[in-house]
Amino acid sequence: MRYRLGVDIGGTFTDFVLLDEAQARLVFGKTLTTYPDPTDGIIVGTRSLLRDCGIEARDIHTIVHGTTLVTNAVIERKGAPTGFITTEGFTDVPEIGRELRYDIYDIFLVMPEPLVSKKYRVGVHERILASGEVLKQLSRDDARTAVQKLVQRGVKSVAVSLLHSFMNPSHERLIGEVIREEFPHLYVSLSVDIMPEIREYERSSATIMNAYVQPITDRYLQVLEQRLQELGFEGKIHIMISSGRLTTVQGARKAPIQLLESGPAGGAMAGVFFSSLTQHRDMLCFDMGGTTAKASLIVNGAPEITHQFEAARVRRFKKGSGLPVRIPVIDLIEIGAGGGSIAYIDKLGLLKVGPESAASQPGPACYGRGGQKPTVTDADLILGYLNEEYFLGGTMRLSREAAYEAVQRHIAAPLGISVEQAAMGIRRVVDENMANAARVHIIERGFDPRRFPMMAFGGAGPVHAFSVARLLGVSRIIIPVGAGVTSALGFLVSPVASEATRSYVKPLDEIDWEQLNAMLYEMEQEGFAFLRHADADVSQATVRRVADMRYVGQGHEITVPMPLGQLSEQSIPAITSAFLQEYEFRYNRTVPGMRLEIVTWRVAVSAAAPKILPSQHGTNGVASKTSYTQRLVWFEGNAAPTMADVYRRYDLVQGVVYTAPAIIEEKESTTVIGQHARFSVDEHKNIVIDMYYPEGSV
Amino acid sequence: MKQRFDAITLSIVWSRLIAIVDEAGTTLQRTAFSTVTRESNDFAVVLMDAYGRSIAQSSISVPSFLGVLPMLTKVLLERYFPPNSWREGDTVITNDPWLCAGHKPDIGLVSPIMRNGALIGFIGTIAHSPDIGGTLWGAGGRDLYEEGLMIPPTKLIDAGKENTVLLDIIEANVRAPKQTIGDIRAQLAANEQGTRALLRLMDEMNIDDIQGIAEQVIEASERAMREAIMAAPNGTYRYEYDADGDGLDEPVRICCTVTIADDEIIVDYEGTSPAHRLGINAVLNYTYAYTAYPIKCVFSPDVPNNEGSFRPIHVTAPQGSLLNAQKPSPLGARNITGNILHAAVFGALAQAVPNQVQADCGSACWCVVLNGYDARRNREYVEYFFLNGGYGARPTMDGIPTLSFPTNVANVPVEVLENSAPILVTEKSLRRNSGGNGAYKGGMGQKFAFKNISHEPINISLLTEKTKTVARGLNGGGDGKRGRVYIKPKRYIAPKGLDKLYPNEELVLELPGGGGFGVPD
Repeated sequence: MRYRLGVDIGGTFTDFVLLDEAQARLVFGKTLTTYPDPTDGIIVGTRSLLRDCGIEARDIHTIVHGTTLVTNAVIERKGAPTGFITTEGFTDVPEIGRELRYDIYDIFLVMPEPLVSKKYRVGVHERILASGEVLKQLSRDDARTAVQKLVQRGVKSVAVSLLHSFMNPSHERLIGEVIREEFPHLYVSLSVDIMPEIREYERSSATIMNAYVQPITDRYLQVLEQRLQELGFEGKIHIMISSGRLTTVQGARKAPIQLLESGPAGGAMAGVFFSSLTQHRDMLCFDMGGTTAKASLIVNGAPEITHQFEAARVRRFKKGSGLPVRIPVIDLIEIGAGGGSIAYIDKLGLLKVGPESAASQPGPACYGRGGQKPTVTDADLILGYLNEEYFLGGTMRLSREAAYEAVQRHIAAPLGISVEQAAMGIRRVVDENMANAARVHIIERGFDPRRFPMMAFGGAGPVHAFSVARLLGVSRIIIPVGAGVTSALGFLVSPVASEATRSYVKPLDEIDWEQLNAMLYEMEQEGFAFLRHADADVSQATVRRVADMRYVGQGHEITVPMPLGQLSEQSIPAITSAFLQEYEFRYNRTVPGMRLEIVTWRVAVSAAAPKILPSQHGTNGVASKTSYTQRLVWFEGNAAPTMADVYRRYDLVQGVVYTAPAIIEEKESTTVIGQHARFSVDEHKNIVIDMYYPEGSV
Repeated sequence: MKQRFDAITLSIVWSRLIAIVDEAGTTLQRTAFSTVTRESNDFAVVLMDAYGRSIAQSSISVPSFLGVLPMLTKVLLERYFPPNSWREGDTVITNDPWLCAGHKPDIGLVSPIMRNGALIGFIGTIAHSPDIGGTLWGAGGRDLYEEGLMIPPTKLIDAGKENTVLLDIIEANVRAPKQTIGDIRAQLAANEQGTRALLRLMDEMNIDDIQGIAEQVIEASERAMREAIMAAPNGTYRYEYDADGDGLDEPVRICCTVTIADDEIIVDYEGTSPAHRLGINAVLNYTYAYTAYPIKCVFSPDVPNNEGSFRPIHVTAPQGSLLNAQKPSPLGARNITGNILHAAVFGALAQAVPNQVQADCGSACWCVVLNGYDARRNREYVEYFFLNGGYGARPTMDGIPTLSFPTNVANVPVEVLENSAPILVTEKSLRRNSGGNGAYKGGMGQKFAFKNISHEPINISLLTEKTKTVARGLNGGGDGKRGRVYIKPKRYIAPKGLDKLYPNEELVLELPGGGGFGVPD
């Protein structure tokens, strides 16, 4: 029982990372994701990994799992028939939404359809006031009638969200009780369990989404548990959730919306792993794949978390075009820029790249699978960054002619420039798009992008990291090992934790401290109970308390760390100064003389994160000397190509300082290193690139 | 020496300029107290060249500010502060409706951008302040003077030195002094942030002047707009549009004549009603913004906004009319009028480009202001909230229920509202079948009702539209259902203006549906 296994189901591949805790050794694996039942792929992949390592399933004590199941169910609208019960008079709230357009100039816009249609929404006679006081009592008969109506209409899962229930959950609880006692086959999600926060549309939306995916998730996890047992596995299963933490199978079944972003969260947690491995407390994670690039920050060894998230956007990169879900999610920005992003000339005669992507089908022109349009990967090939003979380790041959043809016809000819200039243009535009988005993301959080070392992964990440880093003024880039399976790797370093949320809207000077302390105590106890249930070591657990705060009269809250322990009037100065510090940090100003208000409290109880000390990673070949070839590569600002050294990553030797420009090839990706830099590999075989900037250039 | 950029560099720099104004806009919105600014994107940040021509405008801003800051800055340069009078650390403030955005709550701040001692451009912000004195914001003011404080163009900051007298005067004249001053400071911070970001970009690119880039982006946007207009058939198209006016016995009529002449559009409002007794009158700046907006939606929706987008659009309205009001006409609720102009413009354009327009929406956006004393909290409150009618049908799609157009205003959540004011919301639901019939149906309006549950009367300022008139269908589509306003137990309430809601009274608001498009099958 000394192994832990991370399994990440993605759209194309299922990735595996097996950790041998005794020897601190990592083994990677990959299989194709199987449809319609992805557990087939898990079983096949696990078997083959076990065989390779000569161990049995019972040697694994924990499997950590993440999946796109929930996200896909919402996007593809494949959830269960779901009903919605709310306060009489407000059944249309999920359809009315916030009444705001996400695009100002598009009169042909489409809004996201609610997950429950009119027929499946019923009201109950009850009313709770903003204070939590009951104005109209809910009767058990009325609750039963409402549920019955929904059952008759064919509903399998029910979401309940009543006005002000976060102040007084008794009516929601009553409906929950009626369903459990009288309709035991129904799934039920209460808003007070899913998102006990003020704002009825957002709370209802999250609760409905949870109910919608609950049956499907439940079935899936049941099958998975059973099949792993059949394989001989006797340990625990943990599930990766959007906040970069782990939950139990039971926790995932109760609140499956937590799984929405489990894959990307794994990627960010891999960043946490490498930040501790390379001893950088702060880091910018840059992940670029075929269709999108993602950027997220690790600050002081922990990922940044947000509670603003949208699922199933009508337009993927348009804020406000999706269904809001206020759950803790790793704060990452997604940009429509990837290897497959298509370049074109817009109606203003400007070169644009993305967000439309050729994806993997038909793919970039150079894949020779029928793609005719020029993409970022085509530009990278023309510029000499990619090796047509060694793409994906040589398993796929790229066509240089097709890339030339596409760039010539669609970009170079209309602009009257050479193919190389056009390819460089594509690269500059896509790099600028990514740097711009990352810069805004970082500055919005009050940080200076130059202070963050960058960790780059994903198929196209290492190809573009150097120029994006240059635009941001970053001075160190780390290209980690295991770049092909980073999410699964992140699963293995994530802590078991739970976060409780409760709205209690009060100006600081009106807080009932006794009531607040009781509430916080309850939230903490819930967290500890959860850890005990997950068999986590409670003695090492940490409690983190934050509050969403604002000046009285504002509409946006900021998240502020709160003191631990019993709070009282004496805590006001500490809370105030924490708020002012955070506000000043974000907006460079404070507003004198204004009262402060707390809207929502959040308490996270977290077990210690598992530590991995990788004395040795993956392959072990130690090369005695460095072998390299050379080829001509175009770098920005140069009128002619430059001769660059080309290495295989597996041949690089620790302790040597290499000079740029250089290209480093490996199976999963290619690292491009431009001028004014040097690089080396560290003891963990990560590539470390140090960049220098000519005086006054940044 | 003006530098010209190639298509690739231009593309890159242009995105950066838009990112700069958007970033400054986000900061302004996040730190604002004014409900309208933060929930409704009722603000704008504009980067301008040294002549006051707009280069980039924050992309989520509502249409009311299209072209306004450049017009203001040009007037400042001509009549108040000539180019050589600007110094580093200056900021000019004004809320003069004729120079700025058409009513006094909209405060404009313009700061020069200096590089190596030379004036290279301007950055400006406009935002709707929490209060500006006078009567409660709305249509209730009988003339301009009842609508609060007027600030003529004045240096709020003079070479880094704050005009404390002016700040004191503002503070002494408004209902929510700390919030109002706080929002002015938020605007200042946004101007500073945008200036810093532009200078950083210039450092990176190693340029000292933005004139070259300004001209290039303006030319490109102008060309796109002209080409799109060129593709539409030449001609003169008329549309007459009846609106509520006071919703009683003084309606208004908007006469809109759109002329497409090759690559230009001329909109004339000759024949429109004279200025109204209620504060629903628009100044020409504002009329221009809400006329240019639907034209941009039709012809050039995806090209970034700048001076060039508006050069081919010309708007005239008779002096002293509802759409070109003069002193001392009251202007407070000019948004009610601005918010219906799209229907007149679309109605006329439907004759030229029937597949690029939408039917009338259940707009204007309804606004309710509540003011009183909250005994639960022991404090005075002023709360705004907004309600939207149905969205008009499109040539290929139904309308959408309760969606804001042409402005973009979110509702205030019921739970938030009940926390801020002593009211109980009794219903928020869709009005089934309120959208107009047609090949494509108009979006549904909504019903919203609330009760005063305190022991004191609540002062209310009410702005509604289409309680007498309707959202008209286009190309054979049916009209949407009209709206209704009533009080339970029954007594009279005017659809626009000031009133009180007494304890236990319930106000019911039924919002109009959108118009249908095309003849129903």
